Amino acid sequence: MLKKALFTTTALTTAIGVPVAAQETPLGYGLNGLPGVIEMPIAQSDSEGALAVTAAMQEGIFRLNFGLQLTDRLSASAGFNIADVYDSTGSSVIAGENARAFSLQYRLTNETEYLPQIAIGMRDILTPGRLQSEYIVATKSIGDSLSVTAGLGWGAMATAGGFDNPIGGRAERPVFDTASADGQLATDQWFAGDAAWFGGASYQINEKWGVAAEYSSIAYTQQPDGLVLETDSPYNFGVTYRPADGVQLSFVSLYGRDVGVSGTFALNAHNRPSMGGAERAPVPVKVRSENARAAREWDRTQVSEPALRTAMATLMESEGLTLTGLEITDTSARVRYINGRYRSQAQAMGRVARFLTQVMPGSVEVFIFEPESRGIPLSATRIARSDVEALETRSGGADAMLQRAVFVDAGSAEGLTPMPSEAAAFTWGLGPYFVINPYGPDGAAQIDAGLKLQARYQITPQIVAAGSVVQSARPADPQDPIIDATPDLQNVRSDGGFYGDDGVPVLQDLTVSYYGRPGPDLFSRISAGYLERMYGGVSSEILWKPVDSNLGLGAELNYVAQRDTDMAFGFSEYDYDVVTGHVSAYYDFGNGYHTQLDVGRYLAGDWGGTVTVAREYDNGVRISAYVAQTEVNYDDYGDGSYNKGVQIAIPQDFLLGNPSRKTYAATIRTRSGDGGAMLNVDGRLYEVVRDAHTNDLSDTWGRFWR
Amino acid sequence: MKKLGKMTFGLAMLALAACGPMNKGGMGEKLAIVASLRGTAPAAPDTNVPAEVLLANPGKYMRVNIRDQGIWTAMVVGGQNNGRVTWVDASNLSVTVSNGLVVATRGLSRDLMGADVAASWFAVQRGGGTAERRHDFLTDQDRISTELLQCSIVLDGTEVVARGDTGIQTRRFNEKCEGENLTFSNVYWVNASGNMVRSLQAVSPSAGYLQIDVF
Repeated sequence: MLKKALFTTTALTTAIGVPVAAQETPLGYGLNGLPGVIEMPIAQSDSEGALAVTAAMQEGIFRLNFGLQLTDRLSASAGFNIADVYDSTGSSVIAGENARAFSLQYRLTNETEYLPQIAIGMRDILTPGRLQSEYIVATKSIGDSLSVTAGLGWGAMATAGGFDNPIGGRAERPVFDTASADGQLATDQWFAGDAAWFGGASYQINEKWGVAAEYSSIAYTQQPDGLVLETDSPYNFGVTYRPADGVQLSFVSLYGRDVGVSGTFALNAHNRPSMGGAERAPVPVKVRSENARAAREWDRTQVSEPALRTAMATLMESEGLTLTGLEITDTSARVRYINGRYRSQAQAMGRVARFLTQVMPGSVEVFIFEPESRGIPLSATRIARSDVEALETRSGGADAMLQRAVFVDAGSAEGLTPMPSEAAAFTWGLGPYFVINPYGPDGAAQIDAGLKLQARYQITPQIVAAGSVVQSARPADPQDPIIDATPDLQNVRSDGGFYGDDGVPVLQDLTVSYYGRPGPDLFSRISAGYLERMYGGVSSEILWKPVDSNLGLGAELNYVAQRDTDMAFGFSEYDYDVVTGHVSAYYDFGNGYHTQLDVGRYLAGDWGGTVTVAREYDNGVRISAYVAQTEVNYDDYGDGSYNKGVQIAIPQDFLLGNPSRKTYAATIRTRSGDGGAMLNVDGRLYEVVRDAHTNDLSDTWGRFWR
Repeated sequence: MKKLGKMTFGLAMLALAACGPMNKGGMGEKLAIVASLRGTAPAAPDTNVPAEVLLANPGKYMRVNIRDQGIWTAMVVGGQNNGRVTWVDASNLSVTVSNGLVVATRGLSRDLMGADVAASWFAVQRGGGTAERRHDFLTDQDRISTELLQCSIVLDGTEVVARGDTGIQTRRFNEKCEGENLTFSNVYWVNASGNMVRSLQAVSPSAGYLQIDVF
C-alpha cells in the first residue's frame, strides 16, 4: 500500500541537466598508438590527459602501443612490437624480433573555419628505428562526420612515391651505421632524404561505425634489418566499430595483400571511470555538547584510557586502518596508525577524525594524526576538533580544513601508548603474477606468468623479514649463459633472461629490512639478503625530507653480489660483487610535475646519472620517463645505449572505485643495457614517505570529507 | 603466434583467485561499538523495514529511493550536527538533511560532498522566492569543485501524500536551480506544520535523484 503510494510520485519525470558541448566525432586511432587514419597520422590530437593502449595484429607484426596526450598539443607514444625482420644481410628472416618504438607529435595550429589543423611528428625516433620517419600533416573536418588528411613524410614514410627533398641541403638521408649504438637520437637523419605525399580520409557513418581509407607512403622495401612486410598497392582501407565509449575496434585491409585487426582502449586521467569512488559512508561526526566542550579535563574514572584505546582500535580496524599508538592528554589526542586501505592519506585522516569525535572525551580539542609506514611515523597533521564539528557537510568545508591544518614532522614515541599488534606477525599470500620481461635471452620480450608465494614476518614494527618464491609457467630452458670471466663490462642485466628459467620454483627475494627515524626530517633504511632476482647483499639509504618541503635529498649505498642464474642461494656462478649507490634529489615543481636526479655508481661499476621526469595527476595516474647516462662507452653498453624508458601507472581505485592502495604499472624501456643499471630494491624511502607529506596530502585533500 | 598464446595463458592465470591474508564492515556495527562505550544502543539500520513499522515509529525512519539504482532503503539517524541530520542505511549509504533539504550524501558514485541551502529553506517557509545555493562535489582529480546555483522556489498547489490508510495534506513546492555546470528541479511536499514529509531531490548527474519520505 505504502509502496504503491510512493511509486505514484516516482512517475514524475525529472532529469538533472549538464550543459553538453557539441557532440564531436570520436577521434580515430591508427595502428601506431596515436590518432591516425590507419598507418598514416592525422593532425588532430586527443584531449589532454588521454591514455590509450592500442594492440594491432597482422601477419608479420604485432604492435602494442601506449598513446599519451602529455599537454594540450604534445602527444607521445611508447610501445613495442614483435615482428619478423630481415637480418643484417637483408636476405634471411629472423622471426619474432622484439623492438621498442617511441614517437612524438606536436599540434602546431588549430583548425579554423577554412584552415586545417597542422601537426609535426616523428616516429620511432630512437636508432635504429626500423620505421623511423618524420612528417608534417594537415587535417580538416568537413561537416560533423568527415575528415580529410594530407601530409608530407620523410624517412620510412617516404619509401613509396618519394621525390627530392623540398628542404634544400638535406637531400641525402644518412644510412644508419649498424656499428654505432642503438637508442640514439639520429638528428642527422631528421627530415633528410626523399620526401613523399600521403593522405587519407575517415567518415563516421553513425555512433558505432566508421570507415577510413588512406594512401600510404610506406613501401616496406626488403632491406637489411627491415620489416618483413610487403605491399601490392599503397591503399589501405578500414572499418571501425565503437561498442562503447573509449573502445575502438578496427578491421583493416593493408597494401592490397594483408588484413589486420586492432583494438584501442582509451582513458583520460581527468575522467575517472570510478568517479568519486565506491567506498561507503564514513561514521558521521559527533558534536560535543556545550558543557563537554567547555571542560578543561576529563574524568578518567568514568571512561578509562584503555577503553578509549580499544574503542579507537576496533573502529579503525573496520576501515582498514591499524592503530599503532595513542596518546591522550586532557586536551589532545595523538593517533599513530597505518593506512592499509585508502590511496589518499587525507581520506584516511578524515575517517580517523570522525572516529575521534565519536570516542574522545569533550575536553580533547586537538587531534594529531601520525600516519605510519614500515614502522616509522611519516608526518604529523594537527587539526582542531571544533573545526571538524563545524565544517562537516558545509560547502567549502574541505578547503577550510586544509587552511587550518598544520603539517609538521612526526612527534617522538615518547608519550604514545603503543598498541599491542593484533595482526599476526606472520602473514602469507599465494597468487598469480604476470610480467612482460623485456630482457629475454633470445632478444625477444618474454611473457611470464605463474604463481607467487609471499611471506612476511614482522620481528618488530621496524624490522621485517619478507620473501617470495615464484614458479613460472614457462617451459624450462636448460640453456645457461656462457660467462665471460673478464668482460669489458659485467653482464649486470643482459643475462637477466637466464634467471629463473629452469622450470622449478625460485627464490625471488628474501630480505630483512629495518626502517628508522635517525633525526628530525630524516628517514633511514637498511635491507639485507636476496634483494632482487639478480643481486643479493646489503642496501642502505638515508633521506632528508621535511614534511612541507618540495625538495628531498637522499643517499643510497649498497654492496651487492650477482646471484646464480638458478636463483637459489648461491653467488658463485659470476663471482661478481660491486659497491653501488647514488645521491638523489627529488623535487616537486607543483602542477603535477615531479623530477628525480640520481648521480652515482651503477651496478657495472660505471659512474653517471639518471634523470626522471613525471607527470602525476592528483588521482594517482602517473606518467614518467627516465634516462640514464654513464661514462661507459656506447659500444660496451649492451643493446640500448643508455637506459631509458617510460612508465605508466594507474591506481586500482581509479579503475574500480573500491578503496585500495594498489597500482597497476607498465614500463616500456629500451632493452636494458649493462651500463646505467640500478639495483631493484624494494621500499625506497622517498616513495614510502611522500604520500603523508604536505604536497601529496593537499593533492587529495578533497577526499578528507569523503 | 606462440607469444600471443602465452599472453592469453598469462591473463587466464590472473583470473585465478588469490588467497592468504596478504591477498584479501558495516556502519551498524561501528555505531554499536560507539554506543557500547556510552551505554546507549541506536536502532540498527535495516533496509527491509516493513511499511507498518515505518508508520508506527514516527521520526525514527527516513525512507529513500535511489531512483537511478531502483533501490528503496530505510535509514536511521547516525548523527546530528548543528541541525543537520545524517541518516544511514544498512549498506552504509548516508544522506544528510537540513530541514529536509539534502546537504550531503556518502556512498554514491558522485556524492554531494557538502552544501549551503539555508536560503532555499527560507524561501520555502515564505511560500516561494529565490535563493542561492552552493553545492560541493569531488572531482576526478580529488579536488572539491563548488557549484554556485541560482534557484527559484514556487508553490505548485496542494497534494495529499498517502501514509498508510490516511493522507497528509501538503503544499507542493518546485525548486528550479541553475548553475554553470548543473541544472536540476527539486520537488518538496510540506505539511501544515511546515515540515517536509516527502521530497524529490537532485544529488548529481551521475547519482541522480533521491525520493525521500519522512515518517
